[in-house]
Amino acid sequence: MNSRRPETLWFWLFAGPALAGFALFSLWPMLESLWLSFCQYDVVAPARFIGLRNYVYLLTSDPAFWPSVKVTLVFTAVQMPLSVAAALGVALLLNQPGRGRGFWRAVYFLPSILPQAASVAVFVYIFQADGGLLNRLLALGGVTGPAWTSSPVWALPVLIAISLWGFGYPMVIFLGGLQTVPRELYEAAHIDGAGAWARFRHITLPLISPVLFFNVVMGVIGALKVFDLAYAFGAAQGLIPGGPARATLFYGLNLYQQAFTYFHMGLASAMAWILFAVILLLTWLNFRLGRRWVHYGD
Amino acid sequence: MLTRHRELLLWLVIGLLAAAGFWWAGRSRAPAAEEGRKVITWIVFISPLRDLYEQQIAEFERQHPDITVRIIWVPQSEYHMKFKTLAAAGQTPDMFYSGDVWLSYLMPFMADLSPLVKRDAGEIGLDDYFPEIRAAMQHAGRYYVVPEAVNISLLYYNRRLFRAAGLAEPSPEWTWDDLVRAGQKLTRPATAGDPGVWGCSRMEGWWGEWLTYIRQAGGTVFSPDGRRCVLDSPEAITGLRFYLEKSSKYHISAPGGHEPLNGFVNGRVAMLVVGHVNFWLNYNQVPDLDWDVQLLPAGPHSRTGGEVAIAGYSLSRTCRHPEATWALMKFMTRPEVIRHVVARGGVAVRRSIAEAEMRDPRGRSHPQNLAAVYGQLRYSLPIPRHPNFIEIMLQVVQPEVDRMILGELSPEETGRRAAGAVNAYLATFAPPAP
Repeated sequence: MNSRRPETLWFWLFAGPALAGFALFSLWPMLESLWLSFCQYDVVAPARFIGLRNYVYLLTSDPAFWPSVKVTLVFTAVQMPLSVAAALGVALLLNQPGRGRGFWRAVYFLPSILPQAASVAVFVYIFQADGGLLNRLLALGGVTGPAWTSSPVWALPVLIAISLWGFGYPMVIFLGGLQTVPRELYEAAHIDGAGAWARFRHITLPLISPVLFFNVVMGVIGALKVFDLAYAFGAAQGLIPGGPARATLFYGLNLYQQAFTYFHMGLASAMAWILFAVILLLTWLNFRLGRRWVHYGD
Repeated sequence: MLTRHRELLLWLVIGLLAAAGFWWAGRSRAPAAEEGRKVITWIVFISPLRDLYEQQIAEFERQHPDITVRIIWVPQSEYHMKFKTLAAAGQTPDMFYSGDVWLSYLMPFMADLSPLVKRDAGEIGLDDYFPEIRAAMQHAGRYYVVPEAVNISLLYYNRRLFRAAGLAEPSPEWTWDDLVRAGQKLTRPATAGDPGVWGCSRMEGWWGEWLTYIRQAGGTVFSPDGRRCVLDSPEAITGLRFYLEKSSKYHISAPGGHEPLNGFVNGRVAMLVVGHVNFWLNYNQVPDLDWDVQLLPAGPHSRTGGEVAIAGYSLSRTCRHPEATWALMKFMTRPEVIRHVVARGGVAVRRSIAEAEMRDPRGRSHPQNLAAVYGQLRYSLPIPRHPNFIEIMLQVVQPEVDRMILGELSPEETGRRAAGAVNAYLATFAPPAP
């Protein structure tokens, strides 16, 4: 017992600050937000317990809640597969031997290190209805382009297109995965007459499936939490964030506005816990489904 | 290996460090009195008037050696978050910017200025404020704001485009019909090489223009007791319809989402309804922009409906030095400061300054029609006084109006949906308007 005392002490000495930080700055605020989700709280007046009213209002009366859920789910369903596919496709190309490979890897990664707000501001000018680059190009061909950024029909597709610009991080992870695939397997398959698609389908994909799975899980979580993209999109146009007509009102943005623009901290806390539950459920579902197609080589 | 003694010592050091950290993080940052001086705090957002404020504060401190003013500069977009955070921490600034849009929202923090205003009515020149401005300074008959500036909704027009179309300039008798007739003559479709001209703008994304039409048609947002939203009334729907039909029926405004960027400035929009006086300085920096203003065209019910929004100062309910802060408020709103504000493109809140400006307009740039600027005051109304007005309008109502101008909803559906959503909101969260 005595011999373990110094080990225990060292454990607390090194892990203690991190654990204390986690308890103080993560766990406690989380539990506090759970309590607040049952309260009406505007930061200034003391929190007032109102039971489930926040949850009931969100689910039955709030005009913004379900539109923000819809926007976020549509974005996730479209953007995540496109982003993962683009990252995998480019990673496959950049994994080919050849000169300038490092240069192109850097080029494709560069957009990911740009601040999201700056990228969005530039894209908003490109997609501007009057005088925007895209509509000017379309006009050269005699086509009148729509009001891309201020149309409820086009605003979300435009945001999805903008978000695809930065797939550098999943691309790097795919590259790491692709480089662990043994070359002998490709050589053996080639000798047996397997074509490029067959090699990809039966060698590459199974062997990088853990990496693919990781990117899918992170992509879903990231898409469900989108905030800065939508906020910058509204701000760059001088519009109310989330507009037009709630077409870009992402769940995270809606939550932020409830909390920090209108100080409905109780309502925002309830939204945060609903999001937490949904992410937990989808991640669990991902892991369940992942068992069917992810190969860990055991 | 640590001895038991050293182990205890180590824990003691860790404990002390943690305690010091907590003390440092939680210590009060309230300004302490400096050598017997009264320290008052003033939160203000960063604006082009910053140098004026700093000069005035230096002068105030020189005249009041027992008072130190600490200015908390905040970017405008972060003003209310900073304010509420300070209030939550028990450090509400002694003096703060407030105004018509925010008056009800900030009401829980404001001291009733009525006793001070009445006591010093002569000194502050209460009668010198326009009656409409005096009304906007009050809530339920009590004073809460002393104004520095005001925004008045007006009809802006491009004189060059009117001349080119052979049209007489807008008159004070104009109605919606006149606006439409002129707008149709001024509208020139875009062709290859010519971006064209829209007769009239349509402000999208906020309530400024459509609320004006609703009021001019006899409608409003809330019932008199503030417990119900009445945007589904026939009058409100008439106002919404005119807002929509400017593009869908009369074709004098760009369709939804196509409002030309800075259209009025670059001569692609001939008239601008409502506008904002803050843009005057920008307009006057455009060399070829020959513009002026007129009273807003009258609606089917009345001309009254445009916005009068004062911007000024309020005193914190928890102010530690109310007399010293009141002295600062009086100093910052005295005629000399207002003249500076007007010289930088603002509208005078004091009648004496406005009249002097009208008597001697020499050297004055646009707008020339000051009679319309100050005449419009008679037809202006403050924003409905509801604490959650901004949230209700921007988050609950505006998305429905957006859908209307994009052709997804009729004015009737818009009014019905907006009223239903606002009433659900009011029933759940918002207290009724006082």
